[in-house]
Amino acid sequence: MPTRKSAPDPSSEGGRTPCGEPHPGEPSPAEPQQFGSAHDVSSASFASTDDPRIMLDREVGGLFDPIPPYPPQTERESEFYTLGDGEMFLNLGPHHPATHGVLRLVLKLSGEQIVDVDPVLGYLHRGVEKICENSDYYHVIDQVDPLEYISSLFQEWAAVLSFEKLMDVDVPPRAEYIRVLSGELLRIASHTLFQGFLALDLGGLAPILYSFIERDEIVEMLAALTGARMLFNYFRIGGVNGDLNHEFMSRLGDWMSRAASQTEANAALLNENEIFVRRTRGVGVLDRATALRFGVTGGNLRASGVPFDVRRAHPYSVYPDLEFNVPTREEGDSLARYLIRVDEVRESIRIIDQCLHNMPDGPIMAKLPRLLRPRPGRAWGAVEGPRGMLGVYAISDGSDQPFRFRIHDPSFVNLATVPTLLPGNLLADTMAIIASLDPVMGGIDK
Amino acid sequence: MAVGDRESRAGKATPDSRLVPAAPGDLTAPVVVPNTLWQSVNPLAYEGGQPPEITHLREFGQTDLGRRDDARWGGLQVIPANADNILDLIRENSLWPLLSGLACCAIEMMSAATSKNDMDRWGMFPFRASPRQADVLIVAGTLTTKMAGPLIRLWEQMPEPKWCVALGDCTVSGGRYKRSYSVVQGIDRVMPVDVYIPGCPPRPEGLIYGMLQLGQLVKDRRGHWPEREIGPTVPDQI
Repeated sequence: MPTRKSAPDPSSEGGRTPCGEPHPGEPSPAEPQQFGSAHDVSSASFASTDDPRIMLDREVGGLFDPIPPYPPQTERESEFYTLGDGEMFLNLGPHHPATHGVLRLVLKLSGEQIVDVDPVLGYLHRGVEKICENSDYYHVIDQVDPLEYISSLFQEWAAVLSFEKLMDVDVPPRAEYIRVLSGELLRIASHTLFQGFLALDLGGLAPILYSFIERDEIVEMLAALTGARMLFNYFRIGGVNGDLNHEFMSRLGDWMSRAASQTEANAALLNENEIFVRRTRGVGVLDRATALRFGVTGGNLRASGVPFDVRRAHPYSVYPDLEFNVPTREEGDSLARYLIRVDEVRESIRIIDQCLHNMPDGPIMAKLPRLLRPRPGRAWGAVEGPRGMLGVYAISDGSDQPFRFRIHDPSFVNLATVPTLLPGNLLADTMAIIASLDPVMGGIDK
Repeated sequence: MAVGDRESRAGKATPDSRLVPAAPGDLTAPVVVPNTLWQSVNPLAYEGGQPPEITHLREFGQTDLGRRDDARWGGLQVIPANADNILDLIRENSLWPLLSGLACCAIEMMSAATSKNDMDRWGMFPFRASPRQADVLIVAGTLTTKMAGPLIRLWEQMPEPKWCVALGDCTVSGGRYKRSYSVVQGIDRVMPVDVYIPGCPPRPEGLIYGMLQLGQLVKDRRGHWPEREIGPTVPDQI
């Protein structure tokens, strides 16, 4: 046990805000980093911290008391935190096996029925936008990877697309085809995982085992192409990092020979499951007007009857040359959101097939200088990710780092509909509705 | 006394006679197993120190419960050992992790738990949703300052003995978020860590290897928990 030191007094640091602390990881000679406990606890088994940014439960007396310790700040707060007759609060998360990460919901319940919801975000806020604004253009691609960590290629794609618009770079056609090929593969992996997670949150353990078989095959294939299983760092400004290789192509051919039948088999696990269908049909209906008002995109919007797909509406890359349908459904419930994903997997397999047949020869990278200094300007690049429109708004001030790097994440918008979707539903359906929206907390909290 | 007495009386009996039920007279000498390994914290527990109704096995054998039991008293053996020596072997072979995914690494943790890389082969599968039932806290993913308080609370809710595995670069040292204002630069600043698994994210095989190393650690230290270092494992002046 290291010797205990007295806690640093936050007031003696000259009013330094947590955000103003430039490098919390690097010790400075004047003020050495301190470890050990700030509190004189008798038992050494207590975890402890000196970091004034970390609030411990025993200090503040119940971090997860649903009612905040301060008086209500807004009308919405005073309305939410006033209990009606027979109502109660239930705290859900941030550590919960079914919240798809670290999402916290404060639910106001009347019996088993949800009256109101207050989502609490920020448990995975990593400050990626700020890091990107302090990185040069090449390093940004690596930094944005862990945002949409289930489908990180799309996050790279959006960043790269906005930079290419900023710099007027022409991407070679082979690189574009490789991007589409790897992106659609990852979309299939993401949608397959979605099916498993949705079933898991409804209590079915079997589908996720099949989902991960499929997903592991795809990410191993992409690992042969890019070198990593999850955080690929594969796209480059003006191309991609590596050309198609033998191992990737042989794995891909092997997988393509049974992809269609495997997809149908995975879908049949749930499509024909009566419990699944009865627990999702008519649950969490997101109507067309609400979806458009919130700015919902992706499969969640198409399940509500709006045929909006960035690949069609604002074509990028080589999607204008490829044939694919934009599946749409009218119901807007959890089941429709699930079925849309199944249809999209079928379309993605079609796109991959066309990519393999149309793959041109040629270079995979445009010629670019080692140090990128784009002219001052601003650019918006958006791609259709598995969860919707994934956009990046980059502003250049002429230096080698983006002046502003704004990330538009579809999960954040989709999750914003939860307070309108949940009220009136049963507590047990909370997880099914959240899972059917397919949020990824990394992108939501950035 | 326990084992010796049985042997001295078994001296006049051939091995074959051990197979027939003992005569009632054989059970006159009580088998006493002194309890030196364990005592209750509460002196009033277990009938408050009063003599129990049944004081030894002969009386027990006359009860209905004793008659129904077909176990032979002659087979009673006592293995004097430190209980932790045996319990740690059991613990090593069934390390139950807490289901606590924070970020990207959680997906690879689930990949390690599902079909292809089946962690269940080493008894590591049942991801407990409650910290009260878990042995190992696998911190999978970036730990932010906002999440640190809840995670410490989870760690303190887990019963001893417990272990902590830092999965991924972010939890080992801050990783790619070394420059971030909102990320804890390595979870060993807030809780003790037994096994570090670097990688961004580590492959599922990496997690399985780390868990096997943790099993080895449990086996190496078995029966010696008082010497276990508890608390932040980073030296003072790093």
